[in-house]
Amino acid sequence: MATIDFEGTQVPFEDGDTIASALYRHGVRTFNRSLKYHRRRGLYCGTGDCPNCMVSVDGEPGARSCVTEARDGQVVERGTGWPSPDRDLIGITDKLHWAMPVGFYYKAFVKPRFAWETAERIIRRATGIGRLPLDATPAVKRARSAHTDVLVIGAGPAGLEAARAAAAAGADVIVAEEREVGWTFPPGRELDALRRLADQVRALPNVELREGHTAIGVYEGPTVPLVAEDALVEVEAGRVIVATGAVEAHGVFPGNDLPGVWLGRGAALMAARHGLGIGDRIVVAAETEEGLMHAATLRAAGSQVILLAPTALAERALAGVQVLRDARVLEATGSKHVTGVIVETPEGRKRIVCHALVLSLGWAPRDALLRMGEDLPVEGVGDVVAPVGDPPLGDGGYVCLCEDVGVHELEIAWAEGWTSSEILKRYTTATMGPCQGALCGLHLAAFAAARTDQVAVKGRRTTARPPVRGPRLEDLAGGVHEVIERRTSLHDRHVALGARMDRSGAWMRPGTYGDVAEEIRAVRERVGTMDVGTLGKFLVAGRDAQTLLDRVFPTRLHDLAPGRARYLIALDEGGYVMDDGLICALRDGRYYVTSTSGGADRMEAGLRNWADRWDLHVHLVNQTAELGAINVAGPGARELLGRLSDDDLSRAAIPYPGHAEIMVAGVACRAIAVGFVGELSYELHHPRSRGPELWDALLGAGADLGVAPHGLDALDVLRLEKGHFFLAQDTLPDDHPAKLGLGWAVDMDKPWFVGKASLERMAEIPLERRLVGLRFDGEPQRGMPLEAAGQIVGRVTSCARSEALGAAIGLGWLRARNGGWPTTLRAGATTATVVDRPFYDPEGVRLRG
Amino acid sequence: MALNIPCPFCGTRPYTEFTFGGELRPTESPDLDADFARVYHRANVAGQQQERWFHAHGCRRWLTLTRDTVTNRVG
Amino acid sequence: MAELTRPGLSVVLCGASPDALDALVPPGHGARTCRTAPDEALSVCPAEVAADVARELEDRVAALDDDAVVLDVSDGWTAWRLTGPDSRDAFAYASRLALPDEGFVQGSVAHVAAKVVVEADALTVLVPAYWHDHVRERLIHDARVTEAIP
Repeated sequence: MATIDFEGTQVPFEDGDTIASALYRHGVRTFNRSLKYHRRRGLYCGTGDCPNCMVSVDGEPGARSCVTEARDGQVVERGTGWPSPDRDLIGITDKLHWAMPVGFYYKAFVKPRFAWETAERIIRRATGIGRLPLDATPAVKRARSAHTDVLVIGAGPAGLEAARAAAAAGADVIVAEEREVGWTFPPGRELDALRRLADQVRALPNVELREGHTAIGVYEGPTVPLVAEDALVEVEAGRVIVATGAVEAHGVFPGNDLPGVWLGRGAALMAARHGLGIGDRIVVAAETEEGLMHAATLRAAGSQVILLAPTALAERALAGVQVLRDARVLEATGSKHVTGVIVETPEGRKRIVCHALVLSLGWAPRDALLRMGEDLPVEGVGDVVAPVGDPPLGDGGYVCLCEDVGVHELEIAWAEGWTSSEILKRYTTATMGPCQGALCGLHLAAFAAARTDQVAVKGRRTTARPPVRGPRLEDLAGGVHEVIERRTSLHDRHVALGARMDRSGAWMRPGTYGDVAEEIRAVRERVGTMDVGTLGKFLVAGRDAQTLLDRVFPTRLHDLAPGRARYLIALDEGGYVMDDGLICALRDGRYYVTSTSGGADRMEAGLRNWADRWDLHVHLVNQTAELGAINVAGPGARELLGRLSDDDLSRAAIPYPGHAEIMVAGVACRAIAVGFVGELSYELHHPRSRGPELWDALLGAGADLGVAPHGLDALDVLRLEKGHFFLAQDTLPDDHPAKLGLGWAVDMDKPWFVGKASLERMAEIPLERRLVGLRFDGEPQRGMPLEAAGQIVGRVTSCARSEALGAAIGLGWLRARNGGWPTTLRAGATTATVVDRPFYDPEGVRLRG
Repeated sequence: MALNIPCPFCGTRPYTEFTFGGELRPTESPDLDADFARVYHRANVAGQQQERWFHAHGCRRWLTLTRDTVTNRVG
Repeated sequence: MAELTRPGLSVVLCGASPDALDALVPPGHGARTCRTAPDEALSVCPAEVAADVARELEDRVAALDDDAVVLDVSDGWTAWRLTGPDSRDAFAYASRLALPDEGFVQGSVAHVAAKVVVEADALTVLVPAYWHDHVRERLIHDARVTEAIP
């Protein structure tokens, strides 16, 4: 026997049951307590449009039980009410309605200040529909794209006809249907005809009918994302046809939200599809043809039916149905459930005792997707574009069921001055719940339109926005759930050596191979290798290459001879340092430029922009991926390379700073003499594919020299000992060169370069902040403030204990005080002294070796 | 937000394939004061704006287009 | 079914003026020349003929533009090839690009900048070499292609 676990009880269900029908058969009438006032709510629309039937299924809240198939073993809970929806103590809030009018939380609990924090906690616990399963593991969803000429949303009669016509005209068509074809239809001739039509459409070669695909929005393109069970499908369509139909109009009158008040289709589906009677004596208020059909269905299911209908419709009512002509519902009465209806008839008011009230008062097109596509090739067919009259809006009752906003609340808000539909929506939150205005959007607009003469602006429908159905975050994250890693060709080597691989921006880089102190020692005393293949690398060629570089960078270039290199900084138009690197002059007027690893993409985009704006003839090749780079550094660097190369490695052949093309272990390299770590260094730029063999050769040939690879942790200390900054760690976004002590890297004699005018302007302003070197007498921490005379005058941006110097050193920024620069500072409990940089080998003897 | 950018070389693509380069501005100014305005002041119009976009995922070249900043329509 | 392989391809870049590239007769030797920008073309060819392709490009473009450059940039690119009847379907799980029946398109694949060479029986995806592992992972996990182990 198939059962669902409903709040601890095993509830049996029949074939074809939804969770709602199974629970209803079991006797459940209160499916929910409303959001704010905890009013009882029962089944209403039966078609998945309203919020009343929402339950948690298997821990996941927000399932509309009226359209969710019952399955054996499902665990179903109602989400609201304490201790239960049936006996809800928080229901007292409904009696305290007067103390909590609309928007009260904007005005209450202001003083004392702690009152709001307490109140907020209580309010949050008391409201809401269900609990999020925060410890659930999200499913990994994929995303896929689809391209089509025509996308039809909705596989009802109108949608399928439109698909057939488009396919006949030669278009490729995708039809997206939220659930299964015909799921809102009760068994009968119409459903059979629809299924036959669906089969015909499915058989067409240029049509795809996808059930279980929910369109959640219409975006520019038009692009429509469809949420399916296993993937998010992003459809790019030539045009979109919206055929989502209409839901029956929501009736607004006092008592309209009582359990036992139904929309026509909901009541008819219960009877015709599930064989469930909703009451022995039912009042049906019909203003539509379909309403008559629902009355007939309910009558055929064995209920006594009293029909309220306008004269024209009343003529066509079925025999055996009592009719009250031109009668109008004024109020539904009852406390936990409907027990009667008060109607206005031409003969006066009447009270009718009944067990249920069924409303077929008109239509509310499901037109959100259509309205989103206003300026796009999006059109509607079928009931979604059928003309509708005024929505049935009485002088009492709940307009927005999702958010508990009644006519009374709207009147209070309007009187307070929130006098347009858009602002009324935001203040009262009407239309902002799970149904997103599907039921109440027309009512909100009508309410405002009736009270203003600026109807077009203040009385219009509020803007339709995606999503129209609440997707899970895992659905929206389809296909976007992995971090994108860039790797050098030495990645596997680092892993094999036991390196701790770190995320460094977009790249994976070795942090350390196990012993940072030993890695530092290897560089200072012997020879070390480091994978710096992540650096940005650019070949700049073409007749305007030097012109471009000369104008973009502040570096002096005219006297940079082939074979020479120079430190390069990149300034933005404000004159602030945004990147640094090297520039090497090659033969034939070409240049090779390097940047920081993180700045490569910006460097390329920047150079291409200037080349485009100035219409310069250059060829820019981004070689960041194409070339690897290994830095061989230490007193033994030349000796090591000498074992693997027959080329001249002396200072004469490779000047500092400079470069040369050499062969190392049979690999063609551009060896650049650099000084970042402060030892004799050769940065070997080589073809990426030859990286592993070059690395192996270096480590192999240098074994007896005590060669060791080092990672980012060691680099941090090595460069710090030389006083070199790390961009964005030691620099601030408004650091111009003077603040960093980089005036020497800027050639102010050049007629023009990017940022020059800004530097000229700033030269007039006395420097009030600079980057300084620090020596500590204790153990500092990065990020610590620097104080002088009890005032904060700076911050430590980098620090480390230096074995070579026997002290803790660092960098930080420092403010001028009283026109001067403090030299002795406090960093927490330690003393920090401002000292010149570099700390280690100040004359640079070792790196020039 | 959805925005499609018409790259003159590659065709119309989602904006996620591009890097935004801001309002189109002159590259130089006649004097220091004018340069301050050029670098820091933005017209920031509510309406048609000429802008720079870089097709990072495609041709990796720059383009200039006109976009209405109120309606977000391009062209 | 869609299968993933790593073809041994070379990529030769030709940078020249738009007019020169418009007039350029593409090199032979089975190379597919893709116009990747107004001033740039990439010729994708089997590795064995890369030198021939480069030489042919140099000779032809020099006559049209004396400031042109021709470079073998093969190391900068990694190529993944999708074959099999479901390769287009599998590709749709990795990209929003609309594929031509044959030819070349460039844009976002697996969220990175890619060039796609489309042939009757195969799709070849070229990305900067540092994304070699990333693209492979996404094609196997999202596109559910089967990697052919050589």
